[in-house]
This record gives sequence, structure tokens and C-alpha cells, in this order.
Amino acid sequence: MYEVKKLVKKFDKVKVLKEIDLDIKEGEKIVIIGPSGSGKSTLLRCLGRLESPTSGKIYFDNKDITKIHNTHEIGMVFQSFNLFENLTVLENITLAPIKTKLLSKQEAIKKAREYLKQIKLEDKENNYPADLSGGQKQRVAIIRALMTNPKVILFDEPTSALDREMIEEVLNLMEDVAKEGITMIVVTHELNFASNFATKIIFMDEGKILESGSPKELFNNPKTERLKEFLKG
Amino acid sequence: MSFFNDIGDSFYKSFIYDDRYLYFLEGIKNTLIIAFFAVLIGIFLGMIISLIKDYNKEKNKLKILAKICDFYVYVIRGTPVLLQLMILYYVVFKTVDIPIVLVGVLTFGLNSAAYVSEIIRSGILSIGNGQKEAAKTLGLSYFQTMRYVIFPQVLQNMLPALGNEFITLLKDTSVAGYIGIVELLKASDIVSSRTYDYFFPLIVSALIYLFFTFLLVRFMRMLERKLNHVRS
Ligand SMILES: Nc1ncnc2c1ncn2[C@@H]1O[C@H](COP(=O)(O)OP(=O)(O)OP(=O)(O)O)[C@@H](O)[C@H]1O
Ligand SMILES: [Mg+2]
Repeated sequence: MYEVKKLVKKFDKVKVLKEIDLDIKEGEKIVIIGPSGSGKSTLLRCLGRLESPTSGKIYFDNKDITKIHNTHEIGMVFQSFNLFENLTVLENITLAPIKTKLLSKQEAIKKAREYLKQIKLEDKENNYPADLSGGQKQRVAIIRALMTNPKVILFDEPTSALDREMIEEVLNLMEDVAKEGITMIVVTHELNFASNFATKIIFMDEGKILESGSPKELFNNPKTERLKEFLKG
Repeated sequence: MSFFNDIGDSFYKSFIYDDRYLYFLEGIKNTLIIAFFAVLIGIFLGMIISLIKDYNKEKNKLKILAKICDFYVYVIRGTPVLLQLMILYYVVFKTVDIPIVLVGVLTFGLNSAAYVSEIIRSGILSIGNGQKEAAKTLGLSYFQTMRYVIFPQVLQNMLPALGNEFITLLKDTSVAGYIGIVELLKASDIVSSRTYDYFFPLIVSALIYLFFTFLLVRFMRMLERKLNHVRS
């Protein structure tokens, strides 16, 4: 699904990603871990077309990602939710499928209500984001991403802005989404979640992928000193 | 008694004699025409200018157009509106047969567009990139994002600033008298130069301006309440 070849990203002369190579197959659940500033968000944002590579290539389903214009196939969930503040919950989740003509208005509303029921927020459809708790916002953001039928959803620290008691509800929803078979790439500091959820863990440090493999391999047998240190906390 | 006689006399001279109130009606009409159409032009053109600049920033396209917009805003904000009016009237439309009120409408519209575009631009900046990024990852195009997500929020956040701009515009139309447009202040000037009595014409003009700005303030408040109501 994704082929990343020698990806370099610089912000004013500073190399934040250093020749990253990465293959991601359909259906994989990737978790990216690593210390602050190691380039996790930048990599994810490149995969999500929010940053353009300085050099190197990213292919998505064999298409050069810089040549893709508007697409609903790559969804994203943000740490700060980014729900549309001017729209109700229902409008937030139906706007894109309706305006991009993916679904008719009726179909979109029907699908949206099913999802809202699934996350037990059916009585909030006419509320504005400002009325919701952080956990509720993030769950709405996740079903908003699902509404457009993406092939992959990228999550950048989806629970980092949440209080302890809300983290669980968001992680549970992500596990439900995973069961649908959709490809997911998640940056998170929730290592317990990662070890159950991930088919593959990627450890990044200073703009490079230092180690990658199954949760067992990485968590039980870290090879590099950097990962050992990182896992110690 | 003679004080009241004087006042009555002054009032009579200023408004009744020779149907002088007609000047004021003409003045009100022209002031409102200029202000109203200038606001429309200002909003429309201001939105286009801010869109071009934002599109350029976002996509790195339309470079030349964006530079022209920058220059336009710079020039308009850097020169007095009276000077702009005179240039349009004495230079640009010197040889063109065009109703003089239209010159006023154009000047104030073009002037207001620069200020409105800056208000909208800072409104777009204040919203932050998160909203745009979320829209992009949902497959919405740039224009869909602006139309359904960004502009509604800009309007909501910037309503007070836009209201100020329109109040300023309404008052600034008073300089249009300089090129001979009979707007409200010019009307009172014409009358007082006949009667050598400034009291009533000036006070009445002031009251009329106040009345219109009062209406405008109320209208903007109503809009604000309506938009905020939606949110809570
Ligand atoms: N838009 C930007 N402009 C300039 N520098 C940036 C920008 N975005 C990120 N950086 C820099 O790139 C480096 C990597 O940042 P990135 O956000 O990808 O790290 P991260 O691994 O996600 O960290 P964290 O765990 O703190 O979120 C950091 O040094 C950061 O300061
Ligand atoms: Mg990050």
C-alpha cells in the first residue's frame, strides 16, 4: 500500500527525516514509537500529504503521493481532534462524504447515525464540538475519518490530549476499527495498547527508523541501546 | 422669547425656506448609496483578495496575482482615501462620462476591499491550520474547505472587526463632497453657505450619521447573536 523510498524531509536546512525506507502492506496495524522530536509526526504527515518530501518518494497504491490531488483514501486523526468548530456533530461527519459526492445526503446521514449509535453519542448529533468532552471529540473525529471509506487511517497521538479516563474509550474504538480490516498507522506513547494492537512496531530516533518488527521482538528483545533506554522510560 | 424666535427662524431658514430639506434628502440618499454599494464591493473584492493570498500561501500558485494583491492593499492602506477619490475622479475618469456618485461608490468600495481583505486574512490565520488539514484528509478541495469550514468561522470571529470597518466607511463617505458629490455633509454645507447659519445643518447631519451608525451597530449585534446562537 505504502512504499517509502529514501524519504528526506528538511525544515529550513534541518534534516528531520533521514532517508527513510518503509513498506506498509494492506491491513497492517503499524505503531510508531520513539522519543520526542524523533520525526514521528513528520513521517506521518508526509504519509498523509500534509507535508511534501524534500527528496525521496512515497508511493500510495503505486501512485506517487505528490501527484495525488484530492483524495478520501488517506484519512487522519489528530491529537487536537480538529473537529470543524462551526458545524454540529452530524454535519462534521457528513460534510465530506456529501460534498465529495461519495454518498447522497440521506445515505450519509443514515451511515453517520449508525456510527454515532455505535459510539453511544446518538443524542449529541445536533451539538457543537465545543459541547463535547475530549474523549467524545476524538471518537467523533475517528468516525468522521471512517465516513469517507479510507484505505488507511493515520493517527498522530490520538490520546495524548486526553485525561486518563477518556483514553480507554478512544483506544477501544480504535481496536473496533482495526477489526474491520482497515490499515492503520498510529503514533502513540501507549505501549500496552501498542503491544496488543500492532502487527508491527517501528522505533524511530533522530529521523531514522532504528528498529522495526513484531511487538514481541521489539519489546522483549530490543537490539539497540536507544530502544532499551526508551523502553525503560 | 426672542431666543426661541431665533431658533425657529434658523430652523426655517435651514430646512423649510426654498425647500432646503431636499438637499438633506439628496445627501442622505447619496451617502447611503455610496456606503451600501461600497460595502458590497468591499466584501466581495476583499474576499477574493484574501482568497488569492491564502491560495498562494497554501499551494504556492498564483504568485503574480498574489503580489499584485499585496501591492494593491499596500497602496490603498498607505494613502488617504480623499487622494484615492481625487485620483479616480480627476485622473482615471477625467474624460469618461460617468455619474459622479458612481465614482464615490467605486472609490470607497475599492478602498474598503483592502481593509476587508486584511480583516479576513487575519481571521483565516486565527483559525489555525488544523481545520484545513482535517478537511484535506477528508478529501475536501481547497474551495470546499474555505466555503464550508473556514469562511463561516472567519465571519463569526471577525464580525466585530467588519462592523467597525463599515462604520468607518459610512463616516468616511463624508469626504466625497470634495469632488462635488452631494452627500450628507456636503448638503449641510451647501445650505449653511446660503444662510450663514451652521448650527442646524451641522447638528442635524451629526444626528443623521449617529442614527445610521446606531442602526449598523444594532444590525451587527443581531448578526453576532444569531451566529453565536448557532454554537451554544
Ligand atoms: N513545521 C515545522 N517547522 C520547523 N521544524 C519542525 C516543523 N515540524 C517539526 N519540526 C521539527 O522536526 C523535528 C521532528 O518533529 P516531529 O514533530 O516530527 O517529532 P515527533 O517525533 O512527532 O515528536 P513528539 O513526540 O514530540 O510529537 C523536531 O525537531 C521539530 O522541532
Ligand atoms: Mg509528534
